[in-house]
Amino acid sequence: MTGAILFHEQTARQRIASLVDLHSFAELLPPPERLTSPYLAQLGIPVSFDDGVVIGRARIGGKKIYLAAQVGQFVGGAVGEIHGAKLTGLFKAAARDKVPCVLIVESGGVRLHEGSSGEIAIAETMRAIFECRALKVPTIAVIATDIGAYGGIGILSTCCDFRVMTEHGRLGISGPIVIEKWMGKKAYDSANRALVWKTSGGKTKYLLGDADALVHDTADAVRDGISKFLGKSSAVSLASIKARQKELEKRLKKFGATSEPDAVWKGMGVRDIEAASLASGPEFAALAKRGK
Amino acid sequence: MKKPTPKKPSARAVLARLFGASAKDIAIEKSVLTGYATVGGKKVCVIGTGDGTYIDNAAALRLAAHVIQCIERAPKTPIVMLVDSAGQEPNRVAEMLGLASYFGHLLSCLELARRKGHKLITVATGQAVGGAFLCYGMFADRIYALDQASVGLMPIAAMSAVTKIPAPVLEKLSKTMPSLEFGAAPFALLGGVEEVWSADDDVQAKLAAAIAASSTDDNRAELGKKRGGRKLALDIRKKVLAESAR
Repeated sequence: MTGAILFHEQTARQRIASLVDLHSFAELLPPPERLTSPYLAQLGIPVSFDDGVVIGRARIGGKKIYLAAQVGQFVGGAVGEIHGAKLTGLFKAAARDKVPCVLIVESGGVRLHEGSSGEIAIAETMRAIFECRALKVPTIAVIATDIGAYGGIGILSTCCDFRVMTEHGRLGISGPIVIEKWMGKKAYDSANRALVWKTSGGKTKYLLGDADALVHDTADAVRDGISKFLGKSSAVSLASIKARQKELEKRLKKFGATSEPDAVWKGMGVRDIEAASLASGPEFAALAKRGK
Repeated sequence: MKKPTPKKPSARAVLARLFGASAKDIAIEKSVLTGYATVGGKKVCVIGTGDGTYIDNAAALRLAAHVIQCIERAPKTPIVMLVDSAGQEPNRVAEMLGLASYFGHLLSCLELARRKGHKLITVATGQAVGGAFLCYGMFADRIYALDQASVGLMPIAAMSAVTKIPAPVLEKLSKTMPSLEFGAAPFALLGGVEEVWSADDDVQAKLAAAIAASSTDDNRAELGKKRGGRKLALDIRKKVLAESAR
């Protein structure tokens, strides 16, 4: 682990290369095809040959997967028409071929420069994700970067069977700057990194049960996290949605009046907040009795 | 930032227009709508938002609970989803408690309903923007909008404020790129809305016909290409499907 580049520090293509079996990745619609956003071109904004998402086929531990990795450096990994259509196509291919689909998330949501097209694309991808789920084809979102999963992509991530997170990953809808603008700095100081991560970071999401695994910030750990879910699926059944309804009602009742994230940590079984703050991945998980 | 002012007409008036006298059994609690009504002589389940309200964790749970109740007690009854919501209010506690997961849960409930044979029809009646539209309305089998509805990602002024691109530039581009324009009609050009209903339309008859004609295939990319508002999405998707089949 020492000396290796951390997962959150990698680029999308580095992440893919370090996650999948050696030379197993075959990119679909690769950069030489030059599929670039006409919206950004019209606005005089630089375009990208992959439109901010790398998609393809690969293997992990010999198992076939479809894989997408969003490119945070390109307009925050935001979803435009092409980016979104690549995602929709990939999940549809996964459903057709009954091959698990992994999304390495790094996106603030809809690409505002492209207006409503990105929004519709996210809705279409959600439908494709549920197509997979109906066929018991596993869908896994990996949320492990500072940009995280926000806006429509935050919602989309919660539609997948499983979410693998690191403590760096953040999952939500509205980001801290937007909330600070709306509620004031007193209610939410977006520069308070500890508060920001305790609000939307992987540890809190894991405690509440919105992340299914919390792993170390390395490619090896993320790969192990993904591998655990490749053979599983989480069915959308009457029993499952009724249980989830109860769980979310209980959560709102228990913590709805709390503004202090430490109260959530304590309420979810963390005894030593300081030790837990310094712990990573499974060590953090061991310090908490999640949901008990 | 200003809090949004409630849009007219009221939620009650919108319900009366869509469901006539049968709208009386639909409950409105903090602008969240749940209940049953009649369309073309047939029972429908109704969930929705009114008065441009915000949709929060509690609202998502109320809507989800009603969908679950409908699946259990009124099998295969069509579900009509009305959208008039300003979106999610930026709120730290809501985020801390996982608002995205509450929305994901609502979507899962609707997905189960679809799989169990409930038709899902959305009518955007007022504001249908951002997360509030994504978390249930845009998940329907078919989506319609009243012509007074404000449908889309965000108005050009807001887009300009966030992207720092001058509004006149966006205005000009929106003439050739309906994706940038805000409203029910441009959203329909993208395929995001099947049809826009005008004030002169008999919306009760339109709704009955929409339920009858509903289908679970997602036709939005095809519509967007056919109507010329979203020219790339379908072809890119097809390209992914073709290249991955090789």
